Amino acid sequence: MIDVLLKIIVFGAVVGGIWGLVASGFSLIFGVSRILNFAHGAAFVCSAYVAFMLISSGVNVYASILAGLAVSGLLGILVYSLTRPVRKNEVMVIIVTLALALLIQQILLVNFGDRGISIIPLVKGVVELNNLKVTNMRVTSFILAVVSLVSLDLVISKTSIGKRILATSQDSEAAMLIGIDVERIFILVMVLSSILAGFAGILYAQIFAISPETSLRALIYAFAIVILGGLGSLRGSIVSSFIVGYILVVTITFLGARWSEFVMLLAIVTILVVKPTGLFGVEE
Amino acid sequence: MRYAKAVLTAVILLATITSLCVQSGQKAEREKVVVGVIGPMSLPEGMAEEKAVKLAAEEINAQGGILGYPIEVVVGDTKLDSNTASTEFRRLATIENADVIIGGFSSGVMLTMMETMAETKTLFLADASSPAHAKKVAENYERYKYWFRVTQNNGSTFALDLADMVKFLKVSGYDASKVYIIRDEHVWTDPVVEALKPLLEAEGVEIVKDVRVPRGYSEYEQLIQDAESMDADLIMPILAIAGTGDILAKQWATLKPNLLLAGHDLAAIDAEFYNKTNGMANYEIFIADGGALVTAPPTEKCKEFVEAYKKKYGHYPESHQAYGAYDAVYLYKMAVEMAAKAGEKDPFDPDVLVKYLEKFDASNPAELTRPIAFYKNHDLMWGDKYVRNWISQWQDGKQYIIYPDSVANGEFKLPPWIEK
Repeated sequence: MIDVLLKIIVFGAVVGGIWGLVASGFSLIFGVSRILNFAHGAAFVCSAYVAFMLISSGVNVYASILAGLAVSGLLGILVYSLTRPVRKNEVMVIIVTLALALLIQQILLVNFGDRGISIIPLVKGVVELNNLKVTNMRVTSFILAVVSLVSLDLVISKTSIGKRILATSQDSEAAMLIGIDVERIFILVMVLSSILAGFAGILYAQIFAISPETSLRALIYAFAIVILGGLGSLRGSIVSSFIVGYILVVTITFLGARWSEFVMLLAIVTILVVKPTGLFGVEE
Repeated sequence: MRYAKAVLTAVILLATITSLCVQSGQKAEREKVVVGVIGPMSLPEGMAEEKAVKLAAEEINAQGGILGYPIEVVVGDTKLDSNTASTEFRRLATIENADVIIGGFSSGVMLTMMETMAETKTLFLADASSPAHAKKVAENYERYKYWFRVTQNNGSTFALDLADMVKFLKVSGYDASKVYIIRDEHVWTDPVVEALKPLLEAEGVEIVKDVRVPRGYSEYEQLIQDAESMDADLIMPILAIAGTGDILAKQWATLKPNLLLAGHDLAAIDAEFYNKTNGMANYEIFIADGGALVTAPPTEKCKEFVEAYKKKYGHYPESHQAYGAYDAVYLYKMAVEMAAKAGEKDPFDPDVLVKYLEKFDASNPAELTRPIAFYKNHDLMWGDKYVRNWISQWQDGKQYIIYPDSVANGEFKLPPWIEK
């Protein structure tokens, strides 16, 4: 029983950490600029594809990863530029970002095909915990994800730039009146969130593999997690990422792999029926 | 009465003139042979089909075409959607006037296209693996006789090859008496596993667990450890739709469990699979659906084809569908030439060509990239002398056929971390 418990704790934590990086960015963008960024999954896959391409061409692994993250950041700027003229119209924002996501997916499909690519793990080897084998890359990914999420939370809650972000998220017009350059905040949040998603993509491609279709999966996960945590609540997204991670692993362990996503989505719907604003959301 | 005779004469005269005009018109109209290629054109399967057909057409045109007519290739994109596939098939058959259509891919989409094929009476040299297609031909021959499976064997043969794989491993000194199956949560795997169970039982092999995974599933590490804890000797993937065979191979190579990875992983057939998994596919055993591999071409023609493909496109075929599509163009040419030689009035007539394609049977296979022969239901013939899902292994970046001996170009290698 201890073996099973340990397996659930370890595997759930890693999955939760990676999706936490994607969902926190998605939540941050919505919280600050009220944009539902349907191209968020594209940042997740693009960073991995760029890094894979460069590594395959013989470029240094770390430089390739940095280039992947930079492309994710640029994608954030592209989303900002495309959505700026239509920001007031929520439907148009969804259409524009969804079209961009599909366009990127098609570009990747045409150039790389539908089969996955994977980045060689930076940290090799396996650690054994009470007969449970855990790859060092999983452990590293979990640590990096937690460090990134805690740093993000600290930046938002403790620094002056964080306070400006918070002020903009609470009331962008009031923030503008007190001299905050709201547009710069929007760009910053968009770039930061896209880099977080890109970072998650890089970690994911080292443990698993990434295909063009993964962008849609990342978006669905991010969306589900953010709704569960409460739209716009950063801490809610982080907590619900781990909840989702544990639901997935518990289901695989006790019911079988085929039920994993079904149970996860069912649990989210059930929670939302009981608490429509999500776990940490507040009624506006 | 006199008027009636006059009207009858006029009608007969008109019919004769019209028929002559049509016949002479047909002869005068044919300036080329139109070959349609259809498939999901943004996926490797469709891309490979299009490229292979174009390559074959280019080669044949350089040698004077088919009966002197140059081949023109027209392309249809199914987008892996039944409605789109049907519309595109109809466009190729009726607007582009394709003499033959090649490709297809995916069993569900194929079933829809077969109806359009029957309506338009178009010769269809097809790619999909469900037994349901050939069953249609057997049950309603007149309607579906235009359909021939060229690219790969009927899916029910996977069970035969997987059972042979386990037998082969035993003979090679690896006692695979406990098998852990990981398969697609999809209807195509049900008949495979149903057929496989009695074959394994007869060999004294136990299936310790049969796990189904949904599309996009990635958490294989837990399943690998589960298999190891159940003392399984091998994990047998039966994966195509999940699309994550690469993740399974990667996590197996990372965890290095004391068991083999050997089964039907569609992704492993891809010549780029090794690179895409950063070499972690090393030692994975798979069955070469389609009967040909880049580094283990079963015929001389196949060897020439993969090199010509690389020369023209800068890379080897991205999918095994390329072999079937390439063969289909040459098969069509052979059938037309046989019909012309036999003195057929219209050697391009699909009804005529069906008879000549059927001549490629067990005793008379067409030697192309693979030896092509058909059963009576137009299914591709399975066997060592024809096409089968060769038991193969990734070894240091190359795919080797390791069984049967008649085509093997490599030997089975046990991963160094396995102690059995």
